[in-house]
Amino acid sequence: MRSDASRGMIFSIQKFSTEDGPGIRTTVFLKGCPLRCLWCHNPESISRNPQLVWHSPRCIGDLACIGACPRGALSGDEKGVAVNREACESCGNCAAVCPTGALEVIGREMAADEVMSEILKDALFYRQSGGGVTFSGGEPTLQHEFLLTLLAACRNAGIHTALDTCGYNRREIFRSLVPYIDLFLYDLKSLDDELHKRATGVGVDLIIGNLKYLDSTGIPLWLRTPVIPGYTERGENIRQIARFIRDELTNVKRYDLLPFSNLCASKYDELGIEFSLAGAPLMKEEEMKELEAITRGEGLDNVVISGLMSRK
Amino acid sequence: MQQNGTSPAKMLWNPAESLPPRIKRLREEFYSFYERDYFRNEVMAFTTGKPWDSVYSPHNWGVVPEVFLFFECYSQSLLADAAVVELPPSFWKEPLPKRRALFFRKVVESHLPVRILQGELVVGGQFNTALSRSLTKREAAAWKRMESGYVKLLKAADESGIGNGGATPGHLIPDYRTVLEIGFKGLVKRFNELLSTATNKKARAALEAMIISAEAPCILANRYSEELGKRAADETDPLRKRELERMATICSRVPWEPAQNYWEALQSLWFTHMLVMAAESYPGAGLSYGRFDQLLYPYYKKDIDADSLTPDFAKELLMCFFIKHNYAYDFQGRVGTNQGINSGFGQLITLSGMGKNGEDLTNDFTYLCLEVIQELNMLEPKPNVRLHRGSPHRLLARVSDIIAHAQGAPFLLNFDEQSIRALRWIGLPEEELWDYAPVGCLENTLQGNDRSGTVDVNINLAKAVELVLFNGRDQQTRLQKGPKSGDPRSFETFDDFMSAYRRQTDYCMKTLIELYNISDEIRARFEPTPYLSTLVRGCAEKGKDITEGGAHYNFITMEGVALGTTIDSLLAIKKLVYEDGRVSMDELAGAIDVNFEGREPLRQLLVNRAPKFGNDDQYADSLAREVSNYWTMEVTKYRSPYTGRRYRAGYLSWNYWISYAPKTSATPDGRKRGSYLSNGLCPVNGADRHGPTAMIKSVGNLGLDTVPNGGSHTFSLSPSLVRDREHIDKLAALLRSYTEHGGTALQINIIDADTLRAAQKNPDEYRNLLVRITGYNAYFVMIGKEIQDEIIARESHRI
Repeated sequence: MRSDASRGMIFSIQKFSTEDGPGIRTTVFLKGCPLRCLWCHNPESISRNPQLVWHSPRCIGDLACIGACPRGALSGDEKGVAVNREACESCGNCAAVCPTGALEVIGREMAADEVMSEILKDALFYRQSGGGVTFSGGEPTLQHEFLLTLLAACRNAGIHTALDTCGYNRREIFRSLVPYIDLFLYDLKSLDDELHKRATGVGVDLIIGNLKYLDSTGIPLWLRTPVIPGYTERGENIRQIARFIRDELTNVKRYDLLPFSNLCASKYDELGIEFSLAGAPLMKEEEMKELEAITRGEGLDNVVISGLMSRK
Repeated sequence: MQQNGTSPAKMLWNPAESLPPRIKRLREEFYSFYERDYFRNEVMAFTTGKPWDSVYSPHNWGVVPEVFLFFECYSQSLLADAAVVELPPSFWKEPLPKRRALFFRKVVESHLPVRILQGELVVGGQFNTALSRSLTKREAAAWKRMESGYVKLLKAADESGIGNGGATPGHLIPDYRTVLEIGFKGLVKRFNELLSTATNKKARAALEAMIISAEAPCILANRYSEELGKRAADETDPLRKRELERMATICSRVPWEPAQNYWEALQSLWFTHMLVMAAESYPGAGLSYGRFDQLLYPYYKKDIDADSLTPDFAKELLMCFFIKHNYAYDFQGRVGTNQGINSGFGQLITLSGMGKNGEDLTNDFTYLCLEVIQELNMLEPKPNVRLHRGSPHRLLARVSDIIAHAQGAPFLLNFDEQSIRALRWIGLPEEELWDYAPVGCLENTLQGNDRSGTVDVNINLAKAVELVLFNGRDQQTRLQKGPKSGDPRSFETFDDFMSAYRRQTDYCMKTLIELYNISDEIRARFEPTPYLSTLVRGCAEKGKDITEGGAHYNFITMEGVALGTTIDSLLAIKKLVYEDGRVSMDELAGAIDVNFEGREPLRQLLVNRAPKFGNDDQYADSLAREVSNYWTMEVTKYRSPYTGRRYRAGYLSWNYWISYAPKTSATPDGRKRGSYLSNGLCPVNGADRHGPTAMIKSVGNLGLDTVPNGGSHTFSLSPSLVRDREHIDKLAALLRSYTEHGGTALQINIIDADTLRAAQKNPDEYRNLLVRITGYNAYFVMIGKEIQDEIIARESHRI
C-alpha cells in the first residue's frame, strides 16, 4: 500500500459524527493500527491493507463474483460465498460485479484533495456547531505524512481538527502534528504496563510519555478509557487513571468512560477474524455510574459516559 | 451510532400531568370519544327542503381519493339526514351569494347548538355542517352536469395514477387581525361604504351577501352571551360565577366589536374561526391563523403590563382556546380511520420569524405558546415555528429541547430565507414577503389576502417515467394514456430520454390542470362563500366572492409527489444504461414490465449501484435540480380561465406517496409496484446513506426558488442523538445550518422503532403517541397498519 503525503488508505468517512469531539463533525477513519486491543470495535481498521468482506444478509446468491475473481479465491452456492483468505488479494473485481454490495472491499486509497472535498462539504455545519474534522482509525498517525497534509489543508480552510489517537508512535511524529491540531482525543486504557500488554499487545510507557508531552503543549485533551469486562473495568484501574489526570496532567478538559460494546461481532465474522471477547457481557449501567463516582471522588468534574449498557 | 441506556418509551411519553385541573378535565373530556355523548361535533346537515337540493360537493373532496367511492353515498345520506331550514318567501328571488349568506345566517341564528362545557373559558364548539348549496332548480341541474363531468375526469386521472385535483375549501389565512382591530362592526361599515358607490349588479350582490354574513358571528355570540348569563345566575360556586359573568360580557361584545383585551381576542378569534369551518362546510383542514404570536402579543402585553392578567391565567386561557380546535376532527375520534386521512387537519399557528427589516420578532408570547404546546400535547392547532439566520439562540435551544423531549415532532419548522426567495420568484410584492405564513402543513402564503389552493392539485411525478418506458401506455390498465413519445430502445442518448420525460410530464400536468379548472369554475359559479369573503382582503374591494378569485392573490398549487423516486429512476437510467452500458433499455423495460419478477440481480443493481438523491453528490443533485426546475417552472405558464388563478408548484405529497404506489409501475430505481413512492422532498427511504447533513445539502441543492409553496422534508433522529444538553445543542446548530442551505420546511421526529412497535402492539397504552406523517401529525395508533409499518421502517434504517 502506498501512503505518502498525497495519498492514503481510508476506510470510512462518516458525516454528522456527534460522538467524536465538539459540534457536528466529519470523522475520517485511516486504516492501520499498531495495537491489537482484544475488544477493538473497528477490526477492519487494524490492517493497513484493503480487505474483502462478505455481508451475508445482502447476498442474493447471484454468484457473478465467483467467475470475476482472477485468483479463484471465491467459492459458494445460492446460500453464500466463502472467501479463501490466503488466495484473496482484495483486488475488488468481485465487489464490482456484485449487484447488492454484499461483497465489499474495505479500505480505499484516496488522494488528499479527494478527502478534503468530502470534508469541505459539511463546512457549513462545522461553522454553525463549533464542529470540525476528527481523524480516527486505526491509528491515524501511522500514515503521518498523509495526515499532515490533511491537517494542514484543514488549518488552511479554518476547520477545527481533532485527532483520535492511541498515543503509540514516535514522539517526533506527534511533535510534527501538534501545530495543526485543536483537540486530542487520547485513549488511555490502563497505567498498568503488564495489563496493557496483555490487552493491547503493547506496553504503556510510550503512550504515557506522549500523553505528558501533548499535555504540556497546552492543546486541550479529551481522555478516553474503554471500560472492558475482565480488563480495564476494575475500579482501581479507573481510580489510578483519574489520579494520574488530576496529579500529572493540566489540559484534560473531559474524561470519557466508554463501555464495552459487542455490536462489532459481525464485523469480525465478515473479516474472518476471531473475536475473543464475543461472549463478554455488556457493562451494567450502575457499574458505569460507580466508576464515574470514583473519578469524581478523585476530583474530576467533566466525566461523560456514552455508549451501550445493559440496564440490569 | 451508539445507543443510550435509558428507556426511550418512557422518556417520550408525555401524559401532560402538570396541567391545571380545569385543563386536565377539558383535555380528558375531549378524548372521551365514546362517553361524551352530550357534546359532539358531528356533521349537522341543513337543507332548503327543495327536492333538487344538495349539501355535499364532490369537488371539495377531489384530492381525497379514499372517498371517491362514497361521493354518492355521502351526498344522499347527508341530504336524507338534513334539517329543513325555514326561509323567507323572498329567498328564491335573491342572487345566489345572498341566498348562501341568508341560509348561513339563519342556521347560525336558529340551528347551531349553544352548549357550554364545565369549566371552559372560551366557548363554542359545534360547527361541523353540511349546508345547502341553496341552488335553484335550474342552477342545480347545471351544477350537477358539471360536477359529474368533473368526477369522471377525476376518477380517470386518479385510477391511472397521474394524480388528482379539486377546488378544496380551507387552506388559507383569513384576515383575523382586522376582526380583532375593528370587529365585524367595522367590516360591515367598510362594506356599506363600498356598497354605496358600487354600481355593478354582481358586485352589489357580493357585498350585500358579505354584510349579511358578517352579522352571523354577532348573532352566535349573543346567543352564547345569553346562555352564559343564565348559567351565571344558576351557578353556586362564586369563582365560576364570576367567570361566567365575565364570559357573558365578552360574548356580548366580540367579535362584533374590536377586542379590548387578551381574553376577548381569543374568544373573538374562536367564534370567527369556527364559523369559517361552518360556512364552508369543511371542518378545519388548512384553515390557519398565520403569525399567531404577532397577532396576540399586543393584547397579551397590554394586559400583563396593566396587571389585569397573570401569565398563568393567560396560559390557561390559551389552553382552553387550543383544546377547541381539536373538536374539528371529533367526528373521527370514535371510528378511527385508515391511511392517516383523519387527523390531517392543520389549523396552523405560526410562531416567531423575521420582521420587515430582517429583525427577529420572537416575543414573550412566543415562548408562552411553546410552553402550552409542550404541556398540552394535543394534535391541534398545529404549530409551525419560523426560523431565520437572526433567530435568537434561546429560541433555537428551546425548540430543540421540545423536539428532543416530545413524542413525534411537536411542530414544523419553517425557514424564512428560502421561503421568501420563492414567494418573491412567483411575483408576490416585496413589502409583504416578510410577513408570509404557512397554512395547513407547510404551504407558504401571504396573510389575510391570499388563496393559493395549496393542496388542490397533486401530480405523481414518477408516472411520467413509466409512460416514457412504455411509449405513453399505462402499465396497469394497458391503455394508451400519454402521447407516443417513442420506443425508449430507440433513444440514443440520455437527452433523448429526458425530452420524452418532459413530454410525458407535460401531458400529466395538462390532464390535471384541465380537470382542476372545471372544479374551479364549479365552485366559482355555484358555491360562493360570502362569510369567508368578509375575511379575505380584496373580495369586498373587488366586489367578488373569494371563490371567484376575489382575494388579492390567487394561485392554484400543484403539489409534486414522488420527487425522490423520479430522480433516482432517471439517475439509474443515466448512469447504468447510457453511461456504463451495464443495463440495456430493453432489459430494463422488460424487467419493469414484469415487476422485476425473476430479475432480482438487475433490481439489486439498480438499488445499489446507481447514484441516489440525498447524498450531497453533485452528479445526482444536478439532475435532481433539473427535474425539479422543469415542471415547477412549466406549471406557472397555466391559469384557470374562469377565475384567472395562476398555477404554482409545491412538494407536500400528503399521503399520495402511499395511495399512488400501487398505481405506479415498478420504477428504474429498483422499486417494485406497490412499494411506497418517496415523500415530499425526501430522498427515497434508505437511499440517503450519508446522514442528515448530506441529505440537507441535497435538499438545498434542489434550488427551491421555483417552489413558492415550499416542500415537506422530514427526517428522524434516534433519541440517543439528543440525549443531553451537548447533543441538543448540536441539533440546534443543525437547524441554524438549515437556514443557510436547506428546504423551506422541516420536521424532525425523535422516535425509535421500538417505541413504535410497542405502540402497534398495545395501542391502548399509546393513545396519544403523535407522529408526523408528511407535514401533518397523526395519532400513531389511529392510522392504518400500512402507514404504521412504513413509519417503523423509516425509523429502523436510521443511522
